[in-house]
Amino acid sequence: MSTTKSSKFLCLFRFAAAGWPAKPSSPQEMQAQYAAWKAWMTKFEKELIPGDGLTPAGAVVRGGNVTDGPYIEAKEVVASYCLVQASSLEQAAEIIKACPVGMDPNASIEIRQLGGYGG
Amino acid sequence: MADTETTPALPEHYFRHEFGRLVSVLSRRFGVHRVELCEDAVQTALLRAVQSWPQRGLPDDRSAWLYRVALNEVLGALRRAKHTDTSADDIEELAAEAGTEEAVFLENEVKDDQLRMLFVSANPGIPRESQIVFALKILCGFSIEEIALRFFQGREAIYKRLQRARAALRECIAEPQSADVGQLASRMPAVLEILYLLFTEGYSSAQPDRLIRHELCEEAIRLGRLLEEHPVGSAAPEVAALLALMYLDTARFESRVDGTGGLLLLEQQDRSLWDRELIQIGVAYLHRAARGDNFTRYHAEAAIAAEHCLAPTYQETRWAEIARLYQMLDRVSPSPINTLNRAIAIAEWQGPEAGLALLEALKPPSWLLGYYLWDATLGELYRRRGDPERAMVHLTRALDAAPTDAEKALLRRRLEACSTCSDTTLDVQRQLHD
Repeated sequence: MSTTKSSKFLCLFRFAAAGWPAKPSSPQEMQAQYAAWKAWMTKFEKELIPGDGLTPAGAVVRGGNVTDGPYIEAKEVVASYCLVQASSLEQAAEIIKACPVGMDPNASIEIRQLGGYGG
Repeated sequence: MADTETTPALPEHYFRHEFGRLVSVLSRRFGVHRVELCEDAVQTALLRAVQSWPQRGLPDDRSAWLYRVALNEVLGALRRAKHTDTSADDIEELAAEAGTEEAVFLENEVKDDQLRMLFVSANPGIPRESQIVFALKILCGFSIEEIALRFFQGREAIYKRLQRARAALRECIAEPQSADVGQLASRMPAVLEILYLLFTEGYSSAQPDRLIRHELCEEAIRLGRLLEEHPVGSAAPEVAALLALMYLDTARFESRVDGTGGLLLLEQQDRSLWDRELIQIGVAYLHRAARGDNFTRYHAEAAIAAEHCLAPTYQETRWAEIARLYQMLDRVSPSPINTLNRAIAIAEWQGPEAGLALLEALKPPSWLLGYYLWDATLGELYRRRGDPERAMVHLTRALDAAPTDAEKALLRRRLEACSTCSDTTLDVQRQLHD
């Protein structure tokens, strides 16, 4: 077992609802985005536990009622998530700050430490 | 998770070129009248790749992966549109065929599909300027913004051109599916002109960013090679001639500017910077072009470029040969610009007097009189003849009409040289009189 106590953090990528899904990028821009993501993921290969992107399809259950869409009237939508293995919240924040989305002014990333209640 | 460290990086322009390949393949399958639908589907497939590949690593067969995703997108969109789009009646049939096609996703077929798309963009119902924009969008994968930037034009203007091409193609539901490249071979002159204009736009446009312009030249060469590798293209010597021209010009691309971005004349260029490898390829294509009896403007222009590339120095250039080639060019593609260029060659060969005689005998159309190179050439030849007063009149006019700052700077330098030369002439005269 590692001597540094490390925790898992859930990272929720949020985008302004008005701008998501974002205007499609050109193939050239996508290639640049791909390179940026790949560089980030390679750099933090040990710490990152990839999540997934989320599609606009979804529903909300409240009080036994199911309504359409995850983001009706919301200002922001959760667009994707991932997990980070880090020794502290600060370290997790450093890793997420370096992520390509971290530079996007229309995005915010919420970092939450997992409770580990499941054992 | 795949081992990202051993995942190779994607080749340069991979997404752009893959866009062109996939849109071509899907448009053959589903019809060019559905090209916009195919573009959207490929766009989505590429986006999925951006989201998934960095995390999961590159799939073994990237092209097949993208094709599968894009194909499902197209089929999904067609099924959704089935109620409103009666032309989508054949959808299940198409789906079944397309499903079996995955196994025959062969490199050669993909090349044929791209070539077919190039000939589709040369559809005579589409204006030339729209054909070029369409080819850049579909085959080269540039966005409207990127094309606008490269053509130094507004986004709206480019968008309108693109829509004109798409509207024309919506009408021809039957054409692209039934016709293969061989049947479209009569469009060869238009196809070559598209490539030529694409190249010229990159080589000599007003766009100051050299990297951006170089990319247009690269794309014209890439598509030209695709054409030359196909039997239809290799049967036509003018394809090799155009490739020769493009390689021989590209070999000198970087040497045309100095360290600060200022333009250099052919005379001032450092010939050791010319790319010998590209010159060799160009000359080889020129040899391949020298067959048959169809002498085109591409033959003439490539031969002129080869003369310059192979001359050891500016002074040792075979100016008589170049003057002769401009005459031949004028026969197949008449333009007073050819006479202007021939006058420059003749001036180098026989002296400024002979060059000026040719220009003075020419009755230039009014558009040529407003063209800065007309005045720039006259100015230079008068200067060499020792007529600085007249030279300055023309150089000043050229300076006013020059389109770019780099060209203005070049003319300003010449004008300054001229005014000092004018002073010295006066000095000499004064001394003589004294």
